[in-house]
Amino acid sequence: MSDTIRHRLTPLEKSERRLGFAMLAPAFLLLAAVVLYPIVELIRNSFHFNHLAQPWMGTPFVGFENYVKALGDDRFHEAVLHTVLYVLVTVPGAVVIGLGLALLANQPFSVKWPVRLGLLLPWALPLVFAGLIFRWFFEYNQGIANAMLRGLGLEPLNWLTSPGLAFFAICLAIIWKSSSFVALVLLAGLQTIPKSFYEAAEVDGATKWQQFREITLPMLRPAIFVALIFRTITAIQTFDIPYAMTNGGPGNSTETLAMYIHKTTVDFLDLGYGSALAVLMFIVSAVITSVYLRHTRRDPGRH
Amino acid sequence: MAGIEIAQVVKAYGSVPVIHGIDLSVRDGEFVVLVGPSGCGKSTLLRMIAGLESVTGGTIRIGDRVVNDLPPRDRDIAMVFQDYALYPHRTVAENVGFGLRMRGVDAATIARKVNEAAEILQITHLLDRKPGQLSGGQRQRVAMGRAIVRDPKVFLFDEPLSNLDAQLRAEMRVEIKKLHQRFGTTIIYVTHDQVEAMTLADRIAILKAGHVEQFATPDEVYRQPRSTFVARFIGSPAMNIVPAKIVPDATTITLAGGASVAAPASFARARGRDVLLGLRAEHLRLAGAEGVPARTVIVEPLGSDTLALMQVGAVEMTGRFPPSAPLRAGGEVALGLDLDQAHLFDPETGLAIV
Repeated sequence: MSDTIRHRLTPLEKSERRLGFAMLAPAFLLLAAVVLYPIVELIRNSFHFNHLAQPWMGTPFVGFENYVKALGDDRFHEAVLHTVLYVLVTVPGAVVIGLGLALLANQPFSVKWPVRLGLLLPWALPLVFAGLIFRWFFEYNQGIANAMLRGLGLEPLNWLTSPGLAFFAICLAIIWKSSSFVALVLLAGLQTIPKSFYEAAEVDGATKWQQFREITLPMLRPAIFVALIFRTITAIQTFDIPYAMTNGGPGNSTETLAMYIHKTTVDFLDLGYGSALAVLMFIVSAVITSVYLRHTRRDPGRH
Repeated sequence: MAGIEIAQVVKAYGSVPVIHGIDLSVRDGEFVVLVGPSGCGKSTLLRMIAGLESVTGGTIRIGDRVVNDLPPRDRDIAMVFQDYALYPHRTVAENVGFGLRMRGVDAATIARKVNEAAEILQITHLLDRKPGQLSGGQRQRVAMGRAIVRDPKVFLFDEPLSNLDAQLRAEMRVEIKKLHQRFGTTIIYVTHDQVEAMTLADRIAILKAGHVEQFATPDEVYRQPRSTFVARFIGSPAMNIVPAKIVPDATTITLAGGASVAAPASFARARGRDVLLGLRAEHLRLAGAEGVPARTVIVEPLGSDTLALMQVGAVEMTGRFPPSAPLRAGGEVALGLDLDQAHLFDPETGLAIV
């Protein structure tokens, strides 16, 4: 922009600019009220002692004390580790499954709506419901998972009460729930690829697999990045499904960062410490998102 | 190299037939243009030859093989698409070499063939660019490059020039004709533009509503159109086709609106009949007093010659006149009609009376 010539605004341009600001003002004020103000309040809280169960202590400024406490808090470390594991498993999982679903839904079915509906339903379902449904699936006595094991002549498993299995079951539920969103994003991407690309490849002798590798995947890259960003941000905030399925148990073995923040503030009433944890989570989210965004901006495949 | 035999080919989508038993015999090395208005089935027929559409009935033969059930990659054809179908994430060189790489040709051979093709098409300096950085005409060349590196038995072109402006279209037309002269490969070329058809084709197949109206050389479809459809479709401006009646002794022909003109001896073939008289613009001229009275409606000077729309009795006819002709809108003239060059069509069937 530096090489554009700066010129005085004409009266007409000035009045247009004023009108523009006036039109933007309501939206800006609304966002300020529901986003900006809470974030500022959160950051302010994180530097104060604020425990609702100890009202006699007041809310003194404590500097970085809450943050220092987090560094030495084993339960916080575990929650971070679990969250990272959920991200590492469910983000690629949902993208791979979602890609498969999108490719399936992009086939020339004569009747399209049942496929689209099947794709949309898991997405439209509230997260807690999805958690409850999978909790029933993995319930010890009557769940479908153990029923299948018994049907195969195997011993039923303690799905939700042994740490490794509970983690596995929760990941499965998250992938099921979130892959439909990924599939929708990728399906939109697939539909922007001209049919003639595949026809030209067909005439040129490419097999279906070669067409997928040479056309579909590279052309889908921008959509895959979008899906990855959205999926990663929501995965960092994972809460509802493990909350409904195990409530973080057994022990704290499936507890995520969001759940620990929730427990600290809502159950233990420690607003100051909870705010500090939330700020830390916010920073992690922002850093990961900016890394993705930088990558997409550099991506030479975009045109 | 191979000829193509299309025998009784039918295409239907569900119960809707779009191609009704087409027969077409393309000789080895021939340049055949399929032309017709949109919806006539020309692109569908081309896509059936390519294998991108299934064949409902009849047989398609490339060389001596029936290809009805062969997938496109086994037909040894190359196709240039209307939108060029260039992959935006690949360089020009990679696009041109795509087909060879898919078939497992080694990298050195691909590089050599790509360079050869690039030289022929004068795109060597573009090989490292992406299609997004090219102009329409350059993309068109790249698309042709991708076809010629494959060295196929048959080239198929699906309206390849329709996305270009008029000047580039004329340029690329010459380029395509040169390529055909150089390689001598059989070409089937689809267009809705009769100028492309006339200038490129060895033979033109004019399609109408799923059947072939006429299949002949450009000269023949111009001089001996089989029907009013062909007569109107080929040639610019379109042939004048006006209702007329030939008297029983075939000495004169009466145009709608009453003007009577002496008929040439050949009109005896339609004595006493109502006909459609077909006369090309170049067969109208300004005559002396013996001409048919007419009024000039619109004058369109083209530089090399001048077109004028004339009101002759109850009908309008377009004539092509020398630029020096004294024409002005609203002026009265006497027209000479070269009726020995005229065509007679049956008003019921639209077919030529011969």
